[in-house]
Amino acid sequence: MTTSMELQDVHKSIGNKQIIKGLNFTIKKGEVFGFLGPNGAGKTTTIRMMVGLMNITSGDIKINGISIKNNFKEAIRHVGAIVENPEMYPFMTGWKNLKHYARMIPGITDERIKEVIRLVGLEKAVNEKVGKYSLGMRQRMGIAQALLHNPSILILDEPTNGLDPSGIREIRSYIRNMAEKEQVSVIVSSHLLSEIELMCDRIGIIKNGELITVEEVQDTSTENDDVTVKLDLDDNEKAMTILQDQLELETKIVQERVVANLPKSSVPQLVRKLVEEDIAIYEVAVERSRLEDKFFELIGENTIA
Amino acid sequence: MLNFISLLKNEQMKLYSRFGTWSMFIILAGILLVAALIVFVFGDANEETYSENWKEQLTQENEEFLEVSEEQEYVGFDSEIAINEYHIENDIKPHPYDAWQFTLANAEVSMIISLFTIIVAAGIISNEYRWGTIKLLLIRPISRTKILFSKFVSVLILSVSMLIFLFIISLVIGAIFFGINSWNPDLVQMGAGGIEEVSIFTEILTQYGLNMVNLIMMATFAFMISTLFRSSAMAIGLAIFLMFTGTTIINFVAEYDWAKYILFANTNLGQYFGNGSPIIDSMTLGFSITVLVIYFVLFLLVSWLSFTKRDIAGN
Repeated sequence: MTTSMELQDVHKSIGNKQIIKGLNFTIKKGEVFGFLGPNGAGKTTTIRMMVGLMNITSGDIKINGISIKNNFKEAIRHVGAIVENPEMYPFMTGWKNLKHYARMIPGITDERIKEVIRLVGLEKAVNEKVGKYSLGMRQRMGIAQALLHNPSILILDEPTNGLDPSGIREIRSYIRNMAEKEQVSVIVSSHLLSEIELMCDRIGIIKNGELITVEEVQDTSTENDDVTVKLDLDDNEKAMTILQDQLELETKIVQERVVANLPKSSVPQLVRKLVEEDIAIYEVAVERSRLEDKFFELIGENTIA
Repeated sequence: MLNFISLLKNEQMKLYSRFGTWSMFIILAGILLVAALIVFVFGDANEETYSENWKEQLTQENEEFLEVSEEQEYVGFDSEIAINEYHIENDIKPHPYDAWQFTLANAEVSMIISLFTIIVAAGIISNEYRWGTIKLLLIRPISRTKILFSKFVSVLILSVSMLIFLFIISLVIGAIFFGINSWNPDLVQMGAGGIEEVSIFTEILTQYGLNMVNLIMMATFAFMISTLFRSSAMAIGLAIFLMFTGTTIINFVAEYDWAKYILFANTNLGQYFGNGSPIIDSMTLGFSITVLVIYFVLFLLVSWLSFTKRDIAGN
């Protein structure tokens, strides 16, 4: 089976208002899928429908081929999730919180709980009350409870919300790890492109309850794609002349950097040329601006919180 | 079934992890301690020890009762006099005040347990919403129905625990202050058909049981309100208000026949036992039980519908 989750024409209305207007997409096994959209676009509503917290007005969501609508118990067994903030019982210790969720699914041993605690690195804090945890620790507790039953699908709603940069990096590496080593499908929602671009294989963009586009995120652009190159050089004027005359490139200066658009395959040639001309190169940055541009184009800059 | 027990364990763990739950037990013990001290210091517990010639003492008591009733028109001691005469006629020496009498006298404290149960019932669902943990609770392979009923049953388990605690602590405190004379003494009291002898233990159980009816009905009501409106403050307020005003309301409308269908006309089953009489003449024990069961099922049905059908939306 290669499809982990399938959304089939999912609609959601509350009162007379249509909040989700027909979502169709699939999530493959072992894939990290980003769910991107401005606040209020319907991300959380969709996620709540995926985990059965909200009823689906029409359409269906299938998890490993099982309908969440008609067979909730069987479908949800494969899912681990954090919906919005990872809220725990503040008056109980980390261990008791995990024990609480472990009791709700048959077959989770104390050994497994310890294993998960080690995985998220909470060994020291597990006997303290969750009320004393920092936000980062609570986020890790959230991930721990979601992983207890070895789910094949992990759903994380805004997992990096309120985390500091090191926390964000940590979460990112967990997620990549889960997908690559354990073949877990991960669905991550966010309203910040920069945040999920780095961890996702594909990104679906949602706006006003509609899926606008699904984009592949490529680590390496193909040879023929145009890329934007930013150059930090000692002599900008000289370099610009060379690039314009000899390589026939359009160039401009942005923030003291020479910027040029060219096919990826031509980048080595450009560097070689500059070296030949005896220009000192401090930095060559290749920007993958395609997705960002597209996102702004689709969503509009002002709507991003 | 196995995972229902796991759910119960979870709920009990959550209840007992909070100080609020423990404080209820502490308050109960505190109330009994104060009650024992008051009786010990100011009460007539010591005077009521009967000596060898207890029959003469009782006769003298009866004469005093008669004098008072003649002086004051509205004070009657008929049942006390009858009970004393019964003792004399049947040659049963009255028991002195001891731990059993103390326990029976404080059976009314189970009203406080009703209050505590309402507070717990009102919070057990709405707190999950307040903490936000409801989302993590409902994304497990367990039906919402099971989760709802595990919570309801947990409330009942807690209130039964408190009743057992009340019984034991009453006996213990009573024994410390007043001693204990025998393991299951009989009690002479005024019953429905005149004077009867009952085991004091049975009498205590009956009192607890009767208060339990009111407790369960009000807790179920609070549970419903809490599930429906997801607010514990509202559930506590409404349930306690109705618990205290319910009987007053009934007295106002008792002249109408439809009043017998109101919940509060039926919660005090004590009206059918002993020398009580029903609020409305046409009511019977069977009728009251039927009405109570209908309300009970209705409250649970409303809770169940709202809990299982509702979307868990944002805070």
